[in-house]
Amino acid sequence: MNFAAKMKKMWRSQPLLSVGLALVLLILVQTVVMTIEFTLSFAPEFVFDVKLKNFDSFGAWGQKLITNWRNILLNNSYVGMIALAMTFVIISGGIDLSVGSMLVAVGAMVMVLINTKEAGILTSLGITGIPAVVIGVALGLLLGYLLGNLNGIIISKGRVPPFIVTLGTMMMFRSVTQYFMQTRKGAALPTAFKNISKLQIGGNMVLPIIYWLLLAVILYVVARHTVFGRHVYAVGSNERTAKLSGINVDRVKRRVYALTGVIVAFAAMVQVARIGSMDYASAGSGYEMDAIASVIIGGTAMSGGSGSVFGTLLGTLTLAVMNNLLTLMGVDPFLREAFKGAIVVAAVLLQRKEKQA
Amino acid sequence: MLKMLGIHKAFDETKVLQDVDFCVNPGEIHALIGENGAGKSTLMNILGGVLLCDSGKILLNGKDVRFLRPKDAMDAGIAFIHQELNLINDLTVYENIFIGRELKNRAGFVDKKEMIRRSAALLERMGVSLDPNTMVKTLDASYKQIVEIARALMMEAKLIIMDEPTTSLTDVEIKVVFSLMRTLKKQGVSIIFISHKLGEILEICDAYTVLRDGRVVRSASVENATADELAYHMVGHPVRTEQLQTGKKHGKEILRGEKLCGRGFENVDFVLHSGEIVGFTGLLGDGRSELFSAVFGAEKLQGGKLYLEGIPVRIDSPIAAKKLGIGYVPRNRKENGILKDMSILDNGTLVTLEKYSKGVISSRLQRGEFDTMGKRLRIKMSSAAHKITSLSGGNQQKVVLSKWLAAKPKVLIFDNPTQGVDVGAKEDIYDIIVSLAKEGVGVVILSSESQEMMRLCDRAHVMYHGKCAGVMQRGEMSEYEIMLLATGGREVKA
Repeated sequence: MNFAAKMKKMWRSQPLLSVGLALVLLILVQTVVMTIEFTLSFAPEFVFDVKLKNFDSFGAWGQKLITNWRNILLNNSYVGMIALAMTFVIISGGIDLSVGSMLVAVGAMVMVLINTKEAGILTSLGITGIPAVVIGVALGLLLGYLLGNLNGIIISKGRVPPFIVTLGTMMMFRSVTQYFMQTRKGAALPTAFKNISKLQIGGNMVLPIIYWLLLAVILYVVARHTVFGRHVYAVGSNERTAKLSGINVDRVKRRVYALTGVIVAFAAMVQVARIGSMDYASAGSGYEMDAIASVIIGGTAMSGGSGSVFGTLLGTLTLAVMNNLLTLMGVDPFLREAFKGAIVVAAVLLQRKEKQA
Repeated sequence: MLKMLGIHKAFDETKVLQDVDFCVNPGEIHALIGENGAGKSTLMNILGGVLLCDSGKILLNGKDVRFLRPKDAMDAGIAFIHQELNLINDLTVYENIFIGRELKNRAGFVDKKEMIRRSAALLERMGVSLDPNTMVKTLDASYKQIVEIARALMMEAKLIIMDEPTTSLTDVEIKVVFSLMRTLKKQGVSIIFISHKLGEILEICDAYTVLRDGRVVRSASVENATADELAYHMVGHPVRTEQLQTGKKHGKEILRGEKLCGRGFENVDFVLHSGEIVGFTGLLGDGRSELFSAVFGAEKLQGGKLYLEGIPVRIDSPIAAKKLGIGYVPRNRKENGILKDMSILDNGTLVTLEKYSKGVISSRLQRGEFDTMGKRLRIKMSSAAHKITSLSGGNQQKVVLSKWLAAKPKVLIFDNPTQGVDVGAKEDIYDIIVSLAKEGVGVVILSSESQEMMRLCDRAHVMYHGKCAGVMQRGEMSEYEIMLLATGGREVKA
């Protein structure tokens, strides 16, 4: 077999190859664009000047590159985590549109709980400092679990399509949150809570990135090497076969949405801890679409049954790097969404399998 | 009429067809037989324009033709009726017959009246009483087959390819389809008939061609041929047809049903002892599948009592059935049996995953058990990590079976265990069923093949319209008796 045929076969059999290549390409272009920009800003009159070889400016260039990467990863860590959870949902044959609203609901509740001003519920009960943060985080995760479980129960017991259920809860979660938060604007968060994201390691704020990558590793193992993970694939591949094999299909589905709820809750707290506030009308909106886009670019089929956590990680990175590249190149923000959309469609086109005999 | 000469086809490096010659005469019913993976489907897909051949010629009425798309083949008068029927369930019979070729009236709207009229006329000419306005989803499998044939005739097909048309049909329904095939033959239509059922080939076909490992091993007239001979050519060695005895005294009672009622069946009694093979047969829609779906908890049992080892039990879900030690290998493997996206290993260990896991699944335990199972069942595969869809039908069925064997059930229910399975794999599956019974498992077999009942079962229940029409012991069974009971030809015993 010649080289071209071998490449073609690999391309077909490894759905992630195309995404991986696209990502590498994007990163290369991005680095080049950054370097040009950097050189221009440093010595506008001598674009191709030897000054780059100067150690100082080289160090500055490296520093800028690292900062840029840190920002990319930081800004995408929340969506990245949600996309990891969404991978499970989509592999199971479902969809969860409510993640963005859920993020707001959890974020709001946690802030109301741990606000250090008098309005803070825990503060008014006399609980402050570390205990307040621990309780706040625990209740936040619990709320995520409950909201996710609510989706899961309606979907599995009520036999309502996930799209409809989560479309409904998407509206409900945000609307109810906004209603309750009308009079509770402006919260001061304890440092201990902020440190969830802001604690510096080696002089850099990298914790959200570490959470994201750690979660990716954990969920990778869960998907591939646990009974729950394999059952998720089984349910998504053929629900009837799964049922006839004695798998508790309803329980698997419920757990998938509950897991998503918990991860969304975690992402919400990481985001609130970093930013220190939350706009209840707009925070998290569009996250569901970005998460779904990441999952799809990562080679997971909307029909369920196949896909991977690692692919989703690549998917999120691809979107992130592209967005960054467009910003660097000065593309109008209104146009960036179009590129995002194009890349989703292109990814699916590239990964589509050869017509089966 | 049709000549395919020197056809070669390879997928990557696997040669699927090598120098195949295949000829069909006008008004001939020509059987194309061979084990799964012998290349039958590939050959027919080439003829139907689904695949392109690497080299070779297709001559239709002496003219050299080349089909690049299914539509080219259709335009040339070749209709392909796939094993999985290509009907749209939510449309009516006439809409399906005319799909893609709808008639329009002068205003440009679809001409319903004319389509209904022509469909009715065609169905009448075919000798079928079927209202063209019926929704397809309400039809039985045999009538769906008939609608497919009607569609082929409506586009004036001269050659119809029928891929295993009878696997989901009952004996009576098969007769309906056969008489239609004979009518078509008289009108000069040629039919290529793909089937694993050798008896049917002898009954209906004029000529046969046997493929083995991508080559034609024999092509001859059906006259004077015997089933043994056909089977011999297919597998390349003689095939057993003798009865399979468990040769062991049956143990204690394991499963007993009393006056079981549910959707599609009523007042059925049965007893199953350890080491016993009990069969349920009848026509399609006789209620046996519904009955055992309900016993397994996949459907609702509306009345009656179930006893497991003498103790009354309630089984309201497959989860409960699994816990009690009841296993179920369902019919329609594609819809109910396999997970098409997953590996052979995942499929073969699906039921017992918990067993290998302490938080994280030990792939050593999982692989170990599956390898043992794979050897016992003689599953032919290059690697358990490949997708299950890379296997032939027979091997897929063995994988489905292995997931339940791993659970070591007390009772194992098989619904149509040899559906779409070739002769060799069929014998392997029979061997496994007999060896399970020898180990003391109580086996229930649901099948509409009387041969299967007679060869395997210690006792056979014949169902008719949801009721048990009669019970026969081994030795009392004959195809005639079974048919008589299954068609309601004998009064239901009180």
